[in-house]
Amino acid sequence: MYANDRLVEVFQRSRSGQYMKEVEYDLLLARRTQELVKEYNITFDPQNVCPADDSMADRVFQAGLQLFVDIGAYHLDTQRVIKFSRDEILDALRHAPDTLYLGEGRDMVIARHRNIEDPTPPLNLTGPAGQPCSEEHYLELMISYAQEPYVHAIESGATLTYNGMDIMANTLMEVKAVQRDAATAREAIRRVGKPGMHIGDAATGMTAVGKMAASEPVNLLRPCDGRLVAQMCEMKVNDDQLIRVPHLLNYGSHIINLMTPLTGGVGGGPTGVAVVSVAETLMGVVCYFATYHYLSITHIKWTNNSDPWGMYVLAMAGQAMARNSHIVWTNDPFCVNGAGTVENLYEVAGHAIIGAVCGYQEHGVGSTGGNIVDHHTGLEAGWQGEVGLAATRSGITREKANEIALKLLPLYKDTFNNPKLGQPFHELYNTLTITPKQEWQDCYRHAKETLTKLGLTFISGPYD
Amino acid sequence: MMNGSSLPKEIVNGLTDALTLGDKEAAVRITQQALDLGIKPLTLVQEVIVPTLTEVGTRFENLDIFLPELMAAGEAGNACTALIEQAIVKSGNLMQSEGTVVIGTAKGDIHDIGKNIVISLLKAHGYKVVDLGKDVPAARFIDEAETNHADFIAVSALMSITRAGCREVADLLRDRGLKEKYLYIVGGGSITQEYSDEIGANGFSETGSGAVELVKTLIASKRGA
Repeated sequence: MYANDRLVEVFQRSRSGQYMKEVEYDLLLARRTQELVKEYNITFDPQNVCPADDSMADRVFQAGLQLFVDIGAYHLDTQRVIKFSRDEILDALRHAPDTLYLGEGRDMVIARHRNIEDPTPPLNLTGPAGQPCSEEHYLELMISYAQEPYVHAIESGATLTYNGMDIMANTLMEVKAVQRDAATAREAIRRVGKPGMHIGDAATGMTAVGKMAASEPVNLLRPCDGRLVAQMCEMKVNDDQLIRVPHLLNYGSHIINLMTPLTGGVGGGPTGVAVVSVAETLMGVVCYFATYHYLSITHIKWTNNSDPWGMYVLAMAGQAMARNSHIVWTNDPFCVNGAGTVENLYEVAGHAIIGAVCGYQEHGVGSTGGNIVDHHTGLEAGWQGEVGLAATRSGITREKANEIALKLLPLYKDTFNNPKLGQPFHELYNTLTITPKQEWQDCYRHAKETLTKLGLTFISGPYD
Repeated sequence: MMNGSSLPKEIVNGLTDALTLGDKEAAVRITQQALDLGIKPLTLVQEVIVPTLTEVGTRFENLDIFLPELMAAGEAGNACTALIEQAIVKSGNLMQSEGTVVIGTAKGDIHDIGKNIVISLLKAHGYKVVDLGKDVPAARFIDEAETNHADFIAVSALMSITRAGCREVADLLRDRGLKEKYLYIVGGGSITQEYSDEIGANGFSETGSGAVELVKTLIASKRGA
């Protein structure tokens, strides 16, 4: 077993583990993953993207655990492999939190571990989710998220400029931009009367310096807020990520393990990536001391997860962790289509329903594959929360979730290669009243009508 | 001595299969056999290795195979090419390539999967690639381009706050009076055509296959100029 200070042990092993070239590690991961997929008989049927198969969920967990035991995490700076034993991993998992207090005061929400088909509705921890944002409309954009009734936390986007100048990583410009954006997020929640709402991250910060610069308990990010510590694809860490951990632990802040497993990437197809997703979650528990986790599955070509592969990985990894751990984690829908299109809302809905029945809290939304500046708004983020709630309240099962997801898929799958990019925030909203314009509200109502016909019962929404 | 246009079937099929399966040991063994038979190294490259790796790249672009298969084929291809280069050097000739590309991710950016895909595809199309890896300072791109007599400098930036590294390279090329010497191309999730134009890059591509086409077009244009 590791010494009493696991974090120091992570460091020590990153300096003493087996030396391996990065490409060798990638190929080892690819090979071992495929062996485990076969060994544990993990299968994918495109007509069953949300399998109701407890046994397979358990096998996905066991395969993911075995993968992490066998190949460890790769440290990019030292080119060494950080390994932990099965007992060490399971011990860390046992000590991971099952209940989180996000935010403070009246606006605090309690995020608990969710089970498969859990009757407790998921929280919706949302925001621009690291997507590129202009500085011109940033405050109004953040308000558009914070004001939504089915939003329980916000995470900042990644602004591109500071006073019109490029922001450069690991320079004073990154620090200034992060501090501005964290302050803007706080101002946004204050403006909507939710001053204690949890702020999930300051996503403009990409380096440890940038992330840590947001720690300031009055105007910037407080201990009740969070910061991302990311993994590089697949299962890779570096010192810049690890440096954040002791800082955030000492600050008392939430640590969010960001995973972006690539479908079609090193993990292979959907079965392999489900296994890798479990391994990466365990890695976040062991190496990052994560209080909660973002599973942001990413298609290697379209950078979305609204396709059948993405939905399957979401469903199987979610069920695996729901049945075999007590951690809190979130899904993260990424869509090819942009805000202002009904296709975007269908992509979000399919993902949100599967997420809600497979043990996740909700997080997101990424639009246009996270690529186009300002093509995202609070409306689709609020929609995700509303759908997640409706799925839970309607008693949607995994079988029904699969049925709905497969009925939604034809409504947007032809856009994968030719996405509808929609419009930027300032064209979709009245930026003075911060209200969605008629056409964007019409999309919302149209999507809601479709989902209602498919079996979801909504309570009431902001744009009904 | 074998005639380059009529390679033995077992060599062609064996090497094609080995490369496609990413079986590095078999690929190297068959390449050595071919060289021992007197097959011209460049014939082997042009008639077997490049078309096979191009086909693997196409299958990856079409999602018929996944990244590990592309990587394994690329690694096998690299091993064969290294062997062939040795043979060419021994013969006193120079290895011909379609052009030389110095590539890396921008300063501060450690996301290199897209860059690695572009490298695999460029190699498959016969380009010599000098991979500088991740988090590369602007000055190093240019120094390495000078050292390697490169045709292209290619910079990738996934994150919004690392794309400034692309501008730094463009600015440094201009300030060192080298803007006309190299073709400068950019890509990655945070780069758009508008940004590429704004910093004065010669080209931008959203995809790996697009990057190969861009390189082909630009070098043809430069050589034709």
